[in-house]
Amino acid sequence: MKDIFQDLFNKVFGFFRQAEKEENAKDTAVNRLRVVLMQDRTNLTPELLEKMRGELIELLSKYVEMDKDALELNFEQEGNQMALMLSIPVLRAKDEDEIEEAENNIDDAESEDDEEIIEEDSTETDAEENSLSEEVAENDEPKEEESNTKPKENKSK
Amino acid sequence: MSGRVIVITSGKGGVGKTTTNANIGTALARAGKKVVMIDTDLGLRNLDLLLGLENRIVYTIVDVVESRCKLKQALVKDKKNPNLCLLAAAQTRDKTAVTEEQLKNICEELQKDFDFILVDCPAGIEQGFQNAVAGASEAIVVTTPEMSAVRDADRIIGLLEAKEEIKSYKLLLNRVRPNLIKSNDMMSVEDVVEILSADLIGIIPEDTGIITSTNKGDPIVNDENSLAGKAYNNVARRIIGEDVPFLNLEEDNGVIAKVKRFFSGLIGKEK
Repeated sequence: MKDIFQDLFNKVFGFFRQAEKEENAKDTAVNRLRVVLMQDRTNLTPELLEKMRGELIELLSKYVEMDKDALELNFEQEGNQMALMLSIPVLRAKDEDEIEEAENNIDDAESEDDEEIIEEDSTETDAEENSLSEEVAENDEPKEEESNTKPKENKSK
Repeated sequence: MSGRVIVITSGKGGVGKTTTNANIGTALARAGKKVVMIDTDLGLRNLDLLLGLENRIVYTIVDVVESRCKLKQALVKDKKNPNLCLLAAAQTRDKTAVTEEQLKNICEELQKDFDFILVDCPAGIEQGFQNAVAGASEAIVVTTPEMSAVRDADRIIGLLEAKEEIKSYKLLLNRVRPNLIKSNDMMSVEDVVEILSADLIGIIPEDTGIITSTNKGDPIVNDENSLAGKAYNNVARRIIGEDVPFLNLEEDNGVIAKVKRFFSGLIGKEK
């Protein structure tokens, strides 16, 4: 008897939870549009956003210990203003010693990186990578001119 | 006289630019304004069909710029309304047959004789768009509550913002389906306005009457009983400067509601 009730309860509860989770078509459209328009307006590709996210994590983890997977980076629109929203679940702030240590580590890592680059500079693969990244940078420039990054003025009034 | 030059544009095709053009033009003419419409969709002209003028076209805009006729000779008068004229696009040429400068000159010339010059813009953001926008100082961006149409409208708004000549632009939301909005299956008017952050000049409900009116070559604003026709008429009145509230599209169309409205209308008239 108890089992039957339990089963029924789970079914009913499950039903409501499902209904809650399911987003309607309109909200899906609005949310998808918001994201795609932010990309259109700023010309920031998902790859660039991901890169920005990575660099922000690197910088911020010097000062705080955080849940890196839960970090959220989004564009949001409020009226005519666009904002970059960063939400970081902080586990704990680091103390001064740790920050100093982290700084030293980064310095060490950077100098090591530099050495590596100097060593590998003459290799072909590296040269290719460099030229590729240059091309990307060049391609980005004319696009930016076209884009409507500037906040909308009240022309429509 | 210096008429207002308004370009009607959308980015995406098939959202109702030409229908909007035909109806706003006709409504403005019915309100006593002198109106000329320019179809700049070279090679894909359709405005003549919507107005039922396809058999009357002798000269096109390309004939004007290539000096085969005078501008006034190329203007086709509407069957019903002598206030309304059409400058048709050439069907056999492409977008390069007319330049931005030439269109600008034509608009300036027409401003002397008309209150309103409505420019029907082709779909896309290429040269055809640039040409159509060249002579205009105002714009109406047509969109529908669909993702692709809103995205393209956003792009068009960005391009219009960058044009110094365009002093103002307004949004016209076409093919709105109140039932789908009510059931949360379609973006609402508020959603689209918020996303695009632009001023609204009209909300046009989806209306099967548009199909029959297009088939007949008679714009739906000529049909007094049509809701879409009413909505387009209101757009024209707002363009003229009247303060007209937006139609309530969620009107109950049941028999009882109609009877109620009939009686409340009678009482309203008596006052």
